[in-house]
Amino acid sequence: MQHPFQCIASVQLPGQATGEEYLAAACGPRLMLVNAGKGIVAARWSTSPTNATSEDKYDEAEAGERPAKKQKTSNAASHAPNIIKLTVSPNQQYIVAVTDDKFIHVLEIVGHGELKELSQRCMPKRPCAIQVLPDNATIICGDKFGDVYSLPLLPSEVAPIQDVEPGAEDGEAAKQEDPAFKPSATVLTVHSKRNRMALEAQMQQKNFTAKKEPLKFEHKLLLGHVSMLTDVIYATREVEGKQRGHIITADRDEHIRISRAPPQSHIIEGYCLGHTEFVSKLCLIPGTDLLVSGGGDSWLGVWDWPTFKLRRKFDIRDAVLDVVEEVAQRADMDTTEAIKQADKSVVVSGLWTAPFTNAKGKQEIALLVACERRPSLFIVPVSRLMLKKDQKTTQSRIDYPVLDVACVGDRLIVSVDGRRDGSPCLRVAQLHQAEETKGEVLSEKDEEMEAKLQCLMTSSKDIPADDKALDDLLYGVGNLRKRRGWDAPGDGAGGTEVDPTSMPMDPNHTEVVEVEDDLTVRKL
Amino acid sequence: MAGPPNKRQKRDDKQEGQMPQKKFYRQRAHANPFSDHDLTYPETPEAMNWGDHYPSYVATVPAAVPKDDPVATEDGNDYGVPRMTKQVEVADIGCGFGGLLFALAPKMPETLILGLEIRTSVTEFVQEKAKALRVQHSPESVPGGYQNVSCIRANTMKFLPNFFAKAQLSKIFLCFPDPHFKARKHKARIVSTTLNSEYAFVVRPGGRVYTITDVEDLHRWMVEHFEAHPSFERVEGEELEGDEVLKVMTTETEEGKKVERNGGTKYVAVFTRLEDPPWP
Repeated sequence: MQHPFQCIASVQLPGQATGEEYLAAACGPRLMLVNAGKGIVAARWSTSPTNATSEDKYDEAEAGERPAKKQKTSNAASHAPNIIKLTVSPNQQYIVAVTDDKFIHVLEIVGHGELKELSQRCMPKRPCAIQVLPDNATIICGDKFGDVYSLPLLPSEVAPIQDVEPGAEDGEAAKQEDPAFKPSATVLTVHSKRNRMALEAQMQQKNFTAKKEPLKFEHKLLLGHVSMLTDVIYATREVEGKQRGHIITADRDEHIRISRAPPQSHIIEGYCLGHTEFVSKLCLIPGTDLLVSGGGDSWLGVWDWPTFKLRRKFDIRDAVLDVVEEVAQRADMDTTEAIKQADKSVVVSGLWTAPFTNAKGKQEIALLVACERRPSLFIVPVSRLMLKKDQKTTQSRIDYPVLDVACVGDRLIVSVDGRRDGSPCLRVAQLHQAEETKGEVLSEKDEEMEAKLQCLMTSSKDIPADDKALDDLLYGVGNLRKRRGWDAPGDGAGGTEVDPTSMPMDPNHTEVVEVEDDLTVRKL
Repeated sequence: MAGPPNKRQKRDDKQEGQMPQKKFYRQRAHANPFSDHDLTYPETPEAMNWGDHYPSYVATVPAAVPKDDPVATEDGNDYGVPRMTKQVEVADIGCGFGGLLFALAPKMPETLILGLEIRTSVTEFVQEKAKALRVQHSPESVPGGYQNVSCIRANTMKFLPNFFAKAQLSKIFLCFPDPHFKARKHKARIVSTTLNSEYAFVVRPGGRVYTITDVEDLHRWMVEHFEAHPSFERVEGEELEGDEVLKVMTTETEEGKKVERNGGTKYVAVFTRLEDPPWP
């Protein structure tokens, strides 16, 4: 079974007249760089099986507090970690790859498309979005905990200032520095009998687990949400002749926040609010002040982000229904029944922009939308997004779920999940709009280039592919939806107390008569 | 366990206008702020129906004005919720049983005060008490008549920007927050580097954040984090003198009274929201 390419990105290397177009493709734990024009795989790089030592250190620190976590990580350490995110620096000289085990790898492209690994840094939590800033010197990375960090692209040799312990010889000093644990609660702040007994036990405790080690490389916490982040992008805008940078973050709790760029990233400029389900992807439309957002809602938000206003909600539910119908028809199933039962939820898993030449011969931009597990790519010219009502999208029939999209020259390379019948996992198309297409942007297959990219397929035949593992890797966005209606709508206003005997145990909702007030104790 | 069903009934048996009794509204003190909790919140501050909470402050077009008057605005805004004559300016985050809210309301009759609490029963208690107080006291006997105070169930750590627009609030109170002693629970504390940016967003420049706790470690943590945040500066000494709400906060919360009974110390810290620096 062919392992699909979970991430692809275009790279342009300095070459002859116009530069050579390369494609970076991540297949499982391997990254390959292929010369798209010539059809040759230029370089390969693989992640190594997890560094057992660093993982264990974290486990030790948490073992005292949460033993269950240790088991989880030791299972994952058995095989090489997959690449989950891929991005290229604006100057096209570096590729940053994020792997499953929370490591950020920076690779330099040397010579004629060779990859050299420069560094690997382990983040505290799994990164969900990564981008290299236009200065080509900083990486911003958002993680699933809600924090956005900035790291230098090229870490310096010198150890960062945070590290107080210089090394082995000061081992003793380090131990002494660590003060004996003192509970912050005192007899005055703890009021109930049971808690007071626990406090006495704490005061007598001798053995304490070490605190979590701080990150050993230079990094800065820029901002944070309390919810899980799903996407982070950097935007610039020119005001009064100066460039102003912004960081736009989207989270699972339907927020899109716009903050100032570092060094002022603690200042929140505003929020684009309006989504009622998680936001999973953000996309800036180059050359405009438009931000497109997609997630669990059946519409895409088109925002004028400097003013935080929602210009329009672009409905894609009809487009998704069309796809559901078609899939049912193709499978020769009883269409009406199949459609009734089919999952019609919208989960936007990708938003990209691609240039194309419009009917009048001018260069325009199209927005490409992919929904998780749907075998289709929706194409909308940006000019239509700016209108108030028209929401027709062209559907590019792809036959397989779309994983990632990259623009190489004027071609569109689409990575699909073709596991089922071993068909090629990379499709190439060219977008065009002509008078006769009546405003629709159609995609035409480019078989020549597809054939050239076959070399990638042959180079990755040896990568093991397991159905369940692949599903977990590729299709996690749908899990972001919150399961509402968890409590039965009871006799009062929303979110009522639950009768503990009838509902599954949830510590947040069990009513326990806590002795909060000494007066009450006496009454009883 | 026969507890919950009886309590609910006794709660409902109460007469209109009678004060609710705390013993029927007890709930476990800790709620996980990272959970989803089946909360309701508006998708954006403009979509919030404040008319339900402050009925006396709903803006209505006077009856004498004809319907097609070009100047008079409609009763509702774009989201179909009523327009208000005032906006909420004071928020008590984690208001508990409402001690501070009800002590503050008569002292600031011209300002709308809102309590935010994550626990269901406790929110209901405060709402019932506000209703009872409104019935028992008219605006003549008590300034404002308790019409300017209300309470909603909300998780402010996640959804503060859903309720308040930028620079809307002039005061935020953080009274006796959950200390979350364990190191791995520190991220659940109501004050953190990242959350302070959200507080800075909803509080207007010149506005104040008031904190009080009886746990010294938490007090040091809050001071450290607010002082480290560039949008805040600690207010001390003389500048605090004229501040009336400070005394109310120190003595009028339920938790504050409990601390006094047990002979504990209260640590107070006040911070002012600075102006944003210009873009670099």
